[in-house]
Amino acid sequence: MSVMTTNAPRARRLTLRRRRQLAGFAFALPAIALVVGFIGVPIGQAVYYSFTQWDGLTSTWIGWSTWSQAFHNTDLWTALENNAKLLITVPFALGLPLLIAVLLHQRVAGWRIFRSIYFLPTAISWVVLGLVAERFFAYQGTLNSIIHFFGFAHTNTNMLGYESTALTALGITFIFTMIGTNTILFLTGLATLDPTLEEAARIDGAGRWRIFRSITLPHLSRFIQLAFVVTVIALFSALFSLIFVMTGGGPGYSTTTMEFLIYQTGFNQGDFGTAALYGLILFVLTAIVGIVQLRLIGSNE
Amino acid sequence: MTTLATPPDTAPLDDTPAVPDRAPRRKVGRWILFAVMLAIAAVMLYPFWVMIFTSLKSEQQFLSGGGFSWLSWRDLTSVIPIGQEILSSTIVCSASILVILVVGLPAGFAFSKLRFRASTAVFLIMVSAMMVPLQAILMPEFVNVTRLHLTGGYLGAILVYAALGTPFSVFLFTTYFRGVPDELIEAGIVDGLGYFGALWRLVVPIAIPAIATVTVLQFIQIWDDLLVGLLFIQNTNERPITVGLAVLAAGRTTSIPELMAGSLISAVPAMVVYLIFQRYLVKGLTMGIDR
Repeated sequence: MSVMTTNAPRARRLTLRRRRQLAGFAFALPAIALVVGFIGVPIGQAVYYSFTQWDGLTSTWIGWSTWSQAFHNTDLWTALENNAKLLITVPFALGLPLLIAVLLHQRVAGWRIFRSIYFLPTAISWVVLGLVAERFFAYQGTLNSIIHFFGFAHTNTNMLGYESTALTALGITFIFTMIGTNTILFLTGLATLDPTLEEAARIDGAGRWRIFRSITLPHLSRFIQLAFVVTVIALFSALFSLIFVMTGGGPGYSTTTMEFLIYQTGFNQGDFGTAALYGLILFVLTAIVGIVQLRLIGSNE
Repeated sequence: MTTLATPPDTAPLDDTPAVPDRAPRRKVGRWILFAVMLAIAAVMLYPFWVMIFTSLKSEQQFLSGGGFSWLSWRDLTSVIPIGQEILSSTIVCSASILVILVVGLPAGFAFSKLRFRASTAVFLIMVSAMMVPLQAILMPEFVNVTRLHLTGGYLGAILVYAALGTPFSVFLFTTYFRGVPDELIEAGIVDGLGYFGALWRLVVPIAIPAIATVTVLQFIQIWDDLLVGLLFIQNTNERPITVGLAVLAAGRTTSIPELMAGSLISAVPAMVVYLIFQRYLVKGLTMGIDR
């Protein structure tokens, strides 16, 4: 890559630095082009199309109508409400892995094997985990077997079949799918904890709970923050596979979250303009969480 | 799900001294702990035993509750085109990962060692692109890729996966390469390797662990993904296995035992990769905060 310039003396002076900068730019260009083309440009398009009536082929500018229609649409509010309700799973999706990580950290015999087993579902597609969860909650499924085992022979649940319980079943499945990832995060955090600190506290007569609360937990705080962000983003943008195989968004709209509403509005109803607008709303929601994460990076660097 | 920044010298997950084992009176406690961990293991393995035992029944046996049969395994390939779907998944995964590495490695090199004007700002924008979920830009993306006539084969899906995976890999490579001494690169460039030679001969060999991390993470992510494969591969004969399974399941006409057999097969490649390269996966997931 040679630098062409008419200003010869200046070029000679700058040539090395400029060559290096040009090389750097050229090296970064393919990645920039890919990300701009497939992520940046569509964000701009989504803004534009949210002001249009759009079926994917032709779009007509209709100004704010899409927006006002969308915000008067109960589907949008139902989806947002479902997303909000699912936030209740977050403490569980963090608490259980924290407990499991602390148990693993005790290094009981065979803990490496246990660790591998606990992380194993992390490798499996949420499509497959969704199919298995469907078996768990089904009328003839494991959940009812457990209930019967405990003596309630005539109690039968079918959580995915009813509007009142389907979202809870989805939430429980989500908690299960997050256990592996969050346990990995917490276990890594525990591994960076200086064991002599705990030992010193123990010699000073501190009980287990006290050590956990005063030493372990504060040490883990940034890992917990990170796990929180990861979990919330997954909740907003990774449930699609689970919903697709478990409920298809139903019964009714009871398990339709924002991301699934986008898919339904666009591909089942063919209303691309409204779907683009819903996409923007999801974008803003994740951006808020993303800013929190960027701040975390900032505070760590 | 991917996250945050790291120096290459991150501590391995194990190998830190264990909590020291103490007096024998603790022994009972250890046994209780062991039992609890065994119970958790049973829960975490639940998906596998559901898949195994359900697939070992015929449809009748499944509906009536008892029995054992190889039927759903024998007939599996006539219900689900397993071979074709695994081939599709393999093509899409490897091609996407290849693109991610080919664009990600030079970009990481550029952002860490060949910094150009505004490279920090560009890098930050790149990092923020990690946070954009595909669903947020799904409609324009779909229309663009369709208009470019890329949904007929694998190319559309490959490019979308590559674009979604690139921000994280650029981020990871950049932070990794920052740990490579500048003098090494300088010496290489001065010795006539050129920029490309310095990248290929000096940086890439050191970056093998980072490359492994990106490859393993992306493999599992792409293999397991549904949305991109579902929308950006229009030809049903070219469906990846995860998409094939999801579509069959959503159709509600396939027998459950056969679906479970297919699920098990689809899960095997990602599980094998995970078990072999567990270390890299863990590193990738905890990039940046395991110091």
